[in-house]
Amino acid sequence: MRVPNGSFSRYLKALALCALATVLSMPLRGWMDPVNMGMLFLLTVFIVAVRLGRGPAVLAAFLCVVLFDFFVVPPHLSFSVVDAEYLVTLTVMLAVGLITSHLAAQLADKNQAVRAKEHETQMLYGLARELSSALTLDQVGDIIDRFLLPMSVEGLLIVGDGLDALERLQAVGGRSLGDRDADHARRALEQQRPIDDGGRLFLPLSGAIRARGVLALSGATAGLEPLLEAVATLSGIVVERLHYSSVAQQSELDMQSEKLRSSILSSVSHDLRTPLTCLVGLADSLVDALSGEQSAASASAPEKAAALRDQAESMHRMVTNLLAMARLDSGRVSLNRRWQLFEEVVGPSVRQLGNVLASRQLEIDLPDDLPLLYFDAVLIERVLCNLLENAAKYAPPAAPIRLSARAFGNDFEVSVCNPGGALPESQLEQIFDPFVRGTREPAVPGTGIGLAVCRTIIGAHGGTIRAETRSGMTCISFRLPLGNPPAMEAELT
Amino acid sequence: MNDAVIRVAVVEDDSPIRSLVCEAVRRADFVPAEAETAGMGLELVADQDIRLVILDLGLPDMSGLDFIRELRTWSSIPILVLSARSGESDKIAALDAGADDYLTKPFSVGELLARLRVLLRRAPQEAISQVHRFADIEVDLVRHAVRSGGQDIHLTQTEHRLLSVLLTNPGKVMTHRHLMREVWGPAHVEQEHYVRIYIRRLRQKLERDPARPDHFLTETGIGYRFQP
Repeated sequence: MRVPNGSFSRYLKALALCALATVLSMPLRGWMDPVNMGMLFLLTVFIVAVRLGRGPAVLAAFLCVVLFDFFVVPPHLSFSVVDAEYLVTLTVMLAVGLITSHLAAQLADKNQAVRAKEHETQMLYGLARELSSALTLDQVGDIIDRFLLPMSVEGLLIVGDGLDALERLQAVGGRSLGDRDADHARRALEQQRPIDDGGRLFLPLSGAIRARGVLALSGATAGLEPLLEAVATLSGIVVERLHYSSVAQQSELDMQSEKLRSSILSSVSHDLRTPLTCLVGLADSLVDALSGEQSAASASAPEKAAALRDQAESMHRMVTNLLAMARLDSGRVSLNRRWQLFEEVVGPSVRQLGNVLASRQLEIDLPDDLPLLYFDAVLIERVLCNLLENAAKYAPPAAPIRLSARAFGNDFEVSVCNPGGALPESQLEQIFDPFVRGTREPAVPGTGIGLAVCRTIIGAHGGTIRAETRSGMTCISFRLPLGNPPAMEAELT
Repeated sequence: MNDAVIRVAVVEDDSPIRSLVCEAVRRADFVPAEAETAGMGLELVADQDIRLVILDLGLPDMSGLDFIRELRTWSSIPILVLSARSGESDKIAALDAGADDYLTKPFSVGELLARLRVLLRRAPQEAISQVHRFADIEVDLVRHAVRSGGQDIHLTQTEHRLLSVLLTNPGKVMTHRHLMREVWGPAHVEQEHYVRIYIRRLRQKLERDPARPDHFLTETGIGYRFQP
């Protein structure tokens, strides 16, 4: 049995109360019947039982009988009893004293248990409230840690990968999970019952559908099992809630990407069929021209062949953009970033667009000392190609296209501008959405995906892209953060 | 060596592309030798007097990379790689394995022929010649002298080393790592930004329009190529 703190002083108090009862009874000895004075001693035992608990009450019961016999029952100051009647009094007194002390102490125990239970319920209620607001597994782990700390119990939340695949278990909060612990956790999950590994307790986190994890507990767990199981159940419900909310989120995402996919499909099937139709038509007429007799028809053959090539090239760019978009959209693309010079992507872009830009005047304005930038050259080249092709497509014929780059404060800005074709204010943001074009009438071929690809790429680099009208020119410019370029050792000569 | 006939092996499993490439080779007055598989390609190079290999990376019997490694154990003829994939890492791997140049499908026939000519012109004895000329630039690698239109141009030692590596490998795509190793030494291969800054300096000193270079070309994400 546990001996509560301060028990010694409680026994002393019981002794003192018995002594007090004796002292009070002394002057009344000649006046009252000793049996009535026995009541005073009984009252003392009762008070001790109620206030001081079982042990002191038993002590008081015996002591009071002895004191009563010694001091009150004649002959005084002797344990001998003259009248046999008093033996009954003494026996009843002892019995009543013991029973009273027992009942009172039981009551007190129950009271204490109820209070402890209430405290536990309060704590669990608090835990449930905190857990219900948890949004991530890490938060759940923190809340459980905080809850267990005062009990000197250490908890480790172990869940399946993605809260689903239970064959791959991992600890929450970036903590490491030993093989032994993983084995025990797996066993607890399979058998759906607590596993006790001599000091470590593994409780399955049972949810409404199935257990999705294990709470591993170490420290002073003895005697706390019901409470800890309640903790495990609460955590199980929360983990399940997190699982289903992520499932719901994922299906929402899937639905959106499905919508985008179908809009891409319908648009692409239109935009790819148009140039394909041209290709087939051009090739047909080329066959006719070359096999035909008329010299007038065959004279136009080189032009037709050139048109064929241009169409095929434009289709190639379109497919490249679509592939880039699909790759970027799948979210699995990792940027191949290097410290390099922006001007390096200018030359290849211009070479790639050779036939598109052939009839155009391109003004390139790049300072000689542009700083090193941290970017993925292939993707930024894609952006530049799209911007230049876009400008060539929408600018009036023979109008110059201007490409410039500058470092501004902490940013690096690249602008591609062309005169004319000013965009209405309302479309400046919109043109970066997939399959939106500046003009309503799709008189100009090409999917409206180029600028969407640009926005995705620039976004992945931590930059921004926008369209604006600057003194009659339509400009699309993007900014990339400059960062801290690596140092270069200077060469002397 | 037979100067009259220049044989070019075309190792490609897709027959329309193979015949297109052969047609182009023929048009440039070279003689194509066709192979459908890597095994046939290797036999072809071993048996005949082949001067250059045009190689598709996706072959049915052997990976293109293994073909290059195998061929490089006994031959140093130029290899031009054709790749349908746009991933840069494939190309870098092929170049590191010993390929000289690459083209991504779809490519234009003109581009293919230009690359062929540059690679074929690179005869072994040219590598040790000391004077190189391109545009109006004259470079004497031994005397460290560079003249542009009669004007002397000053190059630093590092610039000169980089220039000589590029000039002695005309038409060959050199990866950033390769150039770093050749010019700065093996300890510096991770500091690619050096190459980029020094290429900028060469362009600013030697190109007509440094933003649109004609000779020191960037192969985006891969490296550089010197085009005479």
